[in-house]
Amino acid sequence: MNELWHLGLFIFRLFNYRFFQFALLGGTIAALACALVGLFIILRKESMIGDGIAHMSFGGIALGLYLGVQPLLTALALSIVSVLAISYMRKKGLAQSDSAIAVMLAIGFSSGLIIISLAGGFNVELFSYLFGSILTIDQLDLLLISILGVSALLFIGVFYKELLSMTFDEESSRLMGIPIDALSIGFNVLVAVTIVLSIKVVGMILVVALLVLPGLAALQLNLSFKGTTIASIAFGVASVLAGIFISALCDVATSGVIVFTAVGFFIFAATYRRLG
Amino acid sequence: MEEDTFPVLEVRNLYVTRSKDLVIEDASFAIHRGDYVGIVGPNGGGKTTLLLALLKLLPKEKGSVRFFGEDIESFSHWERVAYVSQDAVNFDTHFPLTVRELVALGRINSTNLGRRFNQDDWNAVDKAIEFMGISNIAGRRIGQLSGGQKQRVFVAKALVRNPEIIIMDEPVTGVDASTQERFYKRLSNLNTSKGITILIVSHDLTAVFCRMSKVMCVNRAVNVSDITKDLDPNKALRWAYGEHFHFVFHKHTCQRMFNDE
Repeated sequence: MNELWHLGLFIFRLFNYRFFQFALLGGTIAALACALVGLFIILRKESMIGDGIAHMSFGGIALGLYLGVQPLLTALALSIVSVLAISYMRKKGLAQSDSAIAVMLAIGFSSGLIIISLAGGFNVELFSYLFGSILTIDQLDLLLISILGVSALLFIGVFYKELLSMTFDEESSRLMGIPIDALSIGFNVLVAVTIVLSIKVVGMILVVALLVLPGLAALQLNLSFKGTTIASIAFGVASVLAGIFISALCDVATSGVIVFTAVGFFIFAATYRRLG
Repeated sequence: MEEDTFPVLEVRNLYVTRSKDLVIEDASFAIHRGDYVGIVGPNGGGKTTLLLALLKLLPKEKGSVRFFGEDIESFSHWERVAYVSQDAVNFDTHFPLTVRELVALGRINSTNLGRRFNQDDWNAVDKAIEFMGISNIAGRRIGQLSGGQKQRVFVAKALVRNPEIIIMDEPVTGVDASTQERFYKRLSNLNTSKGITILIVSHDLTAVFCRMSKVMCVNRAVNVSDITKDLDPNKALRWAYGEHFHFVFHKHTCQRMFNDE
């Protein structure tokens, strides 16, 4: 009983720390955006685009560190360029979706390596972007995450039904007057924005997990689209919050715990479906 | 000139190519308000290509297509036209949509982009669901539906737009004969009770000649005949399928096949 009291007190005290408040806020925004955007990515069968853009943002982070500007901004710029390039390659028939993503993934990662070698090697800050460093989110990071997160949520909120229609049946949606080409580009830019805002939370390597796992877990529950969306958000936010608290209590890597919690939700939902 | 005096759909000297092959050659025809048109023809004859070109989903080589008197190049009232594609029922069965959510997507048009559905939209959705007799499955996931139920759901999705013309590409493929029969009966009701013009690609020649008012034979060229005027089905069909084709058909077949008349 005494141990439980101390645990409760420890958690309560954590809320007084600014870094913890920033982590909770930044993590929740990223989880919300990832859960919503990720659900559409899964339904569009484009899960690998998250991995491709994350690798492209690696080049952007390296460039930002090399030039001494905010790395998330350079990552955002290069990620947006990469999604536009993927769209262009697909539209012009230069490459199929997966091949176009592979090309951008290679360009992003190799350019990052070149920049790192020019800068004289890896440094600690780059590692924090690679593997996530939610507890080191500062005021500027939080501001950037909030702006990007609110933009992503607004986009989905406004074009929710059009995105859903386009995802389900592109041909009919075009006939209905939905501007498919513009909306597709808008959505891909949104994916880039969501990935960049999540880099501090789980890192470039694991960001695709935060994008895909909550939606995948929600899809196991056989709910309506509205229900699936709510479940996806709940799984995403719960994974991030659980990750932050467990890592604070057990002193382990936050991004790893976040992703493992999300994996746990997926296994739980998949088991529920099989048994149900 | 009043808009009502224009044909719902008017095609003149239409040529359409696909992968450099000429698929539709010099098609000219007019479809009028209330027509119920069965589109028939051999596989690869150009039926789907023709529909896609009519709907501006495929570019035309030359010629003109007009909906309600307006050329499709400048036509913007696509909410007056509904389309049920050949692949509509072949969706990913794990897609998380209920029947009601899917039918609601049919309400989207160029005037309500970026705004939420309002009560009028949901009322129209419930009305279309009720008209198609699928109220009992409105909350069910679309992946759990039978073939016949899927067809009705997609017609409800088309109907919810309050269209003046519905264009359907083989919507009854892969379902049993009695489900097909019920489906055609519902379309007849739609045509007569709501006055909606219907164009439907069908391989069920009996349904076409018993139920519909016109038959459109498509085999690169297009020939539209009026069934209501003592048309010899074989004469019309041989034009599309070749001289060897023989279709055994008598008017009394309709009473036997469709005993609801």
